[in-house]
Amino acid sequence: MRTVKNLLAHTRCAAPVIAAALLLGAGGCAQKPTDPDALADYNSTNDPLEPTNRFFFRVNNTVDKYTLKPVAQGYVYVVPQPVRTGVHNALANFASPATFFNDIFETKPRRAGDTLVRFVVNSTAGIGGVLDVAKGLGYPAHDADGGMTLASWGVPQGPYLYLPGLGPSSPQAATGFGMDIALSPLTYVPRGYGLLTLNWALYGIGVVDARAGVLDALDQINRDALDPYATLRSLYRQHRAAQIEAMRKDNRMTTPDWYTQ
Amino acid sequence: MIGADSMHDRRALPRGAVPRRRLGALAGAVALCCGMAMAGTPARAESADVAFVHQFGDKLVAVINGPGSAAEKRQQIQPLIDRNVDVDGIAKFAMGRYWKLASPTQQQQFVTLFHHVLLNTITSRLGEYQGVRFSVGADTPHGNGQTQVATTIDRPGQPSADVDWVLGHAGGAPRVEDVFGEGVSLSLTQRQDYASYLSRNGNDIDKLLDAMRRQAARSS
Repeated sequence: MRTVKNLLAHTRCAAPVIAAALLLGAGGCAQKPTDPDALADYNSTNDPLEPTNRFFFRVNNTVDKYTLKPVAQGYVYVVPQPVRTGVHNALANFASPATFFNDIFETKPRRAGDTLVRFVVNSTAGIGGVLDVAKGLGYPAHDADGGMTLASWGVPQGPYLYLPGLGPSSPQAATGFGMDIALSPLTYVPRGYGLLTLNWALYGIGVVDARAGVLDALDQINRDALDPYATLRSLYRQHRAAQIEAMRKDNRMTTPDWYTQ
Repeated sequence: MIGADSMHDRRALPRGAVPRRRLGALAGAVALCCGMAMAGTPARAESADVAFVHQFGDKLVAVINGPGSAAEKRQQIQPLIDRNVDVDGIAKFAMGRYWKLASPTQQQQFVTLFHHVLLNTITSRLGEYQGVRFSVGADTPHGNGQTQVATTIDRPGQPSADVDWVLGHAGGAPRVEDVFGEGVSLSLTQRQDYASYLSRNGNDIDKLLDAMRRQAARSS
């Protein structure tokens, strides 16, 4: 479900859509219910901007239906699974430096060490990150991002946001997303033409890879849920809480799986 | 019983983790554990829960990987779900605060429809896969007398999925009361879906029942 967050991450329709929403008066707040039970539901959902969020949810879905989804379906149809896995691994490897810094900021040095080993092993023995060799050696991947770092510092998640382009989010996660861009070394390399092309290519492939990874999951939500917006909100919130909880509870051993004591 | 348990445990270990000659020792250890369980030590409840998930999971996986159309698999899965999953309890939880607002007839209709919809959801998700394997990990207390048993599900060409089974013991024997996929509770997600639908449809329970009837009719 982490991919869900990234899923529509870069449709780049943000500015015109926000302007249109404001013009159409789609911005607005949900009304607070008075019934105590209903109020408890309202508070636990923590979605005061629901009307605006639902508007962007509809816009994103429409844009997705005619652009990203067909592209992702074509990608899955044309490219065989092992190649797609290799692409996914390579993209994850490019993101390792940001994961490493977040591990440090979350004061999880052992996780940071594992990320470093993964980056070194997969970049070399894994042929530029295409093969996840480190996983087989007892260093499986884990999640770390700016939003989780902020959570570990005690920053509350805040109200639910469905952002144009970004999808399910929160003030905490959206701020963390900006931090992750700042933490990526690729952001700071001089902008030669070749590198610019590489950056855009990675960006484009990343969007397609993320969308392809959730084709089935999103189809299931749209098919099985009575209110897909609320179901996605619930899934996102719970998954985020589980990721943060897993990070907090992770006091992993310094020795890998293959080391017999 | 002992033989079956040792077989399961062997499968739960990572491939290649235990040399073959150690398996005898492992079987001995399992036999010892079972002996302790017979003596009524607290180990009994834990191992019984893990064994339950083993058996239930093995049967489900056998149906999923087996021959037959989606409709036939649905027929085979239904008795497994009814026997091993507390569907009535999950249904009541999923209706949340609306349960006490519903009339007895509406409650009964809701539970019946929920059985159909849950079965449809399970079969539509599982039926698409072949070559599913699963391994069972440890059990931990979940609170409220419930136990949580961790499993990992592997599907060909897909990343492995962590699925946790929450078991209750209301009737003595363990039954599944919730399932967590990658940290997401099935029953809580369902509850929030229904709550949102109802609040956007004037809290009218009949509208929820109509929507569920359409769902049940669509893919059964």
